[in-house]
Amino acid sequence: MLLRGIDRAAFAVAFTARLRAAGLPAGITETDDLVRALAASPPVSRGALYWTARVTLVRRHADLAVFDRVFATVFDDSPPLPLSRSATPPPRRDDDTNVAVPGTGDEKTAGGDGLPWATLPPAVAAEDSPAEDGLHLPELRPSELAALAQRPFEDLDAGQTAALGEALRDTLTHWPHRRGRRHRAHPAGRRVALRPTIARARRTGWEAVTVVRERPVPRPRRVVMLCDVSESMRAQAAAYLQLMRAFATVADAEVFAFATRLTRLTVPLRHTSPREAIEQAGAAVDDRFGGTRIAANLGALLDSHHGETVRGGVVIVASDGWDSDPPERMAAVMARLRRRAYRIIWLNPRAGAPGWTPGVGGMAAALPCCDRLLPAATFADLLQAVRCLPDVAGRR
Amino acid sequence: MNTPDEVIARLDAVDYLVDDGLAMAIFLALRLGKPLLLEGEPGVGKTAAAKALADALDTPFIRLQCYEGLTAGEALYEWNYQRQLLHIRLGHASDDSSLFTDDFLLERPILRAVRHDGPTPPVLLIDEIDRADDEFEALLFEFLGEASVTVPELGTFAATRPPVVVLTSNRSRDLHDALRRRCLYHWIEFPAPDRAASIVRRAVPAATAPLIRDATEFIGRVRGLELDKAPGLAETIDWVSALAALGVADLAAGDVLRTIGTIAKTPDDRILVAEAVTRESPQ
Repeated sequence: MLLRGIDRAAFAVAFTARLRAAGLPAGITETDDLVRALAASPPVSRGALYWTARVTLVRRHADLAVFDRVFATVFDDSPPLPLSRSATPPPRRDDDTNVAVPGTGDEKTAGGDGLPWATLPPAVAAEDSPAEDGLHLPELRPSELAALAQRPFEDLDAGQTAALGEALRDTLTHWPHRRGRRHRAHPAGRRVALRPTIARARRTGWEAVTVVRERPVPRPRRVVMLCDVSESMRAQAAAYLQLMRAFATVADAEVFAFATRLTRLTVPLRHTSPREAIEQAGAAVDDRFGGTRIAANLGALLDSHHGETVRGGVVIVASDGWDSDPPERMAAVMARLRRRAYRIIWLNPRAGAPGWTPGVGGMAAALPCCDRLLPAATFADLLQAVRCLPDVAGRR
Repeated sequence: MNTPDEVIARLDAVDYLVDDGLAMAIFLALRLGKPLLLEGEPGVGKTAAAKALADALDTPFIRLQCYEGLTAGEALYEWNYQRQLLHIRLGHASDDSSLFTDDFLLERPILRAVRHDGPTPPVLLIDEIDRADDEFEALLFEFLGEASVTVPELGTFAATRPPVVVLTSNRSRDLHDALRRRCLYHWIEFPAPDRAASIVRRAVPAATAPLIRDATEFIGRVRGLELDKAPGLAETIDWVSALAALGVADLAAGDVLRTIGTIAKTPDDRILVAEAVTRESPQ
């Protein structure tokens, strides 16, 4: 029997505290579950303890790696099992590596100043460095923004890019919808809603005088955006990140960046602070400015469990079409995407240039499957693309 | 079921093989009375786990298949409006209490699981919860947390014996944290080839041992190819059943090609698997 004579609650609290410090969101419910599970199934082996803790504390697949790491650090260098108070030599009893007890001070407090609670960072800390912040730029007038939007991405600094990103978010008001499967009472509906009709009949002596009708509730169409962050797209990457953030925050879209590998950016880009979101997204993409494998990455998206999100959705691919995979592979994967997605829009930074033809192998192979090829060399192009989204995604 | 080992033994008796992790998850779900959320690749045996659990506990199995737009009317309860209208026509309706009674209440799967009165609680499977929408998830919270269902006109039904609830998800949509918090969670790994072989042996008793060994090894190699839809355990069982039905004792290239439709489910996959077969047996 492991952990004999040990306070289960103290153990569970300390272990979840350590998991939380490592980034696994285990709360009171999970801790309570672990305590009750340890009572129901006293751990007879390390394996049993592992499964008990994992089943009760981990609630999503993405957290399994963190759990395994923390579990290993806590239990790997522990003395040979079974671990109990009598088996542990007295000098090691207060060794908090093996049996975690609360209040050891071993976990870092968020404030870092020794307080047992987390303190918020001072709100006025940015005062002393206004120049490098970028958010302290004077408020731009719409005309100035419009002029900025015409400039190529390379000529914009970080602050201007952020301001234009906000403008993109504000523009994203009209959203393509589809017919949902839920119904809501509406006078123009065609279906009789029986429940409210009978409830209404109560007023008229159970005679159904007023008939309540209902019609389908439109639901926003799912948007999936994939953005190329390879070397050839270096100039556009920052601006496209802003576009992806606009989609992720306003429209609940799934967004991915790819160069040689596919990285899901939906979670980092939804961060409330724009600067933090862009920084986190930049940190998440570790193959930035490398080669491009468009076809392989599109295939990876379709094969992964996110492949279902594409179904019936609008897919936006932002890339110049330079692909190190053969064009046949691109044609095959685009055909597969075509069968699953509702509309495919391709944003190409070079498409706006006069005399441009889709000469690149990958682009030429992908074009027959795209509903629309839009230029995306400036923010003005991106704003235009966002505005025409409902038209593109409307009925054919 | 008093220990995880007993869970393994009881499920083994109904021909469902579980590993230590799933056994612990099922044991804790039963003991703590919490719903169990199972995730894993398609065809890894999530739904089968719930069915086997019902068999092992010898209780009724109630299934709710989720889809977009699923409402309380299909999942919890519905009033029998036609009967209510008839009742009104016949002039029996004097006040509320005569119209909104048990006689007019239609039980849907969740209410049926709550109101089940048998010696043992039923097993309720809420299948592919990721296919339902956020609104439906919110509808489930009361049931998942308290094992009760509230019908505004009648009151709250609480289960005398809380049903055993199993939810499955294919991760096509991120489930809400509030839902995850109310459940225990287990991720089912795809089994290693030797375990897969023993699972298939249980599922298809007619197949010979060398056939099962070759077939599971072949599936292991096929899963390494870049397929649109990699064959899971369910496909492997289908395939071995097909081979057994054809009377195949030793796996040959011709047999694979004849039964390719059970493991390759798209035209592209068909070509890739066929190529793999011809590569492996050049004769």
